[in-house]
Amino acid sequence: MKKLDRLDWAERLTLSAFGVRAGVRVNASGVLPHVLPLLPPGWKKSPRVIVQRLYSLVVAQGCERAGMRRLHVLYANTMPVARDAALDQVLAALETDLHRYTAEAASDMTFLHAGVVGWQGRAIVFPGRSLSGKTTLVREMLRLGATYYSDEFAVVDSSGLVHPFARPLGIREDSSYPQTKYTAERLGAASGVKPLPLGMAVICKYEAGARWQPALLSQGQGALELLANSVAVRSQPHQTLRRLQKLVRHSVFVQGTRGEAQEAAAAILNLSCARERLETV
Amino acid sequence: MKERQFPRARLDCLSREFGDEVLVYDLQRDIGHCLNSTAAATWKLCDGNSCPPQIARTLSRQLSARVDESVVLLALDQLADAHLLVEPEVPIERPSRRVAIRRIAVVAAIALPLVTSIVAPTPAQAASCVPFNQLCANNGQCCPPFLCVLNRCV
Repeated sequence: MKKLDRLDWAERLTLSAFGVRAGVRVNASGVLPHVLPLLPPGWKKSPRVIVQRLYSLVVAQGCERAGMRRLHVLYANTMPVARDAALDQVLAALETDLHRYTAEAASDMTFLHAGVVGWQGRAIVFPGRSLSGKTTLVREMLRLGATYYSDEFAVVDSSGLVHPFARPLGIREDSSYPQTKYTAERLGAASGVKPLPLGMAVICKYEAGARWQPALLSQGQGALELLANSVAVRSQPHQTLRRLQKLVRHSVFVQGTRGEAQEAAAAILNLSCARERLETV
Repeated sequence: MKERQFPRARLDCLSREFGDEVLVYDLQRDIGHCLNSTAAATWKLCDGNSCPPQIARTLSRQLSARVDESVVLLALDQLADAHLLVEPEVPIERPSRRVAIRRIAVVAAIALPLVTSIVAPTPAQAASCVPFNQLCANNGQCCPPFLCVLNRCV
């Protein structure tokens, strides 16, 4: 760290997001504005100097010599995280690492890897790993009028309410291509602000041509599915279980195989409406 | 010595009730288990002092339905497989799961015991992976089937 500390740092920022404090420093002027859109949603500047994780972005400066590539390097504390000639690639690595670290280190909130939309005052979550089609389903729901909460994390507080993590949607046209970022507003949808109680959790996998015929899942089985997508369950098992218990109190779990997202999204919203109607009766 | 032969639930696990089911988190193995109502009720009665027929009688009283000993044996078999019981010094002879199921009456008044388990994810497993040709630091970051080669997922 001392070697890094000795470099001339042109720009610095200390931020706080979901109770996690992180710092970013860059050795070149004019780079920090490119970092700001990549920070976790809802971040705030922090006056504190001591941070849990410090990112040092060493931007390659000066002329390139023949036969030598100058690389930009990103460190998290003292550990190199990314090294590349393309600055946007290194910035993307900063975003991924910072979001992951925030989800892992936040102690006031439990992060579940899931897509989330708001619908009629309740949250609908789709837990799942990468490439399970969360973003595709979320995008379809937004098209049908749902409010955007996240395509990455369901953030659960100690009362069991789901908070937004409304970063721009990372849409992959194909799993082998990088994501293109779209804000919910650009897709014609609104982003949620208010924390919501969980209405429904949908555990689904994609299979080309499959018909969406979900089965109900018990509360315990549903909670186990959420546990399987909890980022910090190994380091914070007590809090995770307690928050899951509060989260699922009044929710319904369905599980099934979906085909195209359009059909499944409409069916899920209809199911959610039917449930609301049953509850009011 | 006799007491050791009776099933005893592990106390070093976290457990939370979800309706009549129980979610158990094994802190030693980082495994989550969902016990359905019958498995949960059996697990709670594993105090190290009750034998399977006694557990069956207590369950029958609690559930107001006749619970056969074979149901308890089936639950104990699954709980032991999930490492949710203290391991006895002398292995307990229990009928195999197939035999236990065969013994259970065709019409059961209660749900058959069921223990479902998952391995808790590491933070990297539970977060988004890095797609093809993007920067990575190790193999664990890359989306399957890609590997981190020269700091790129390929």
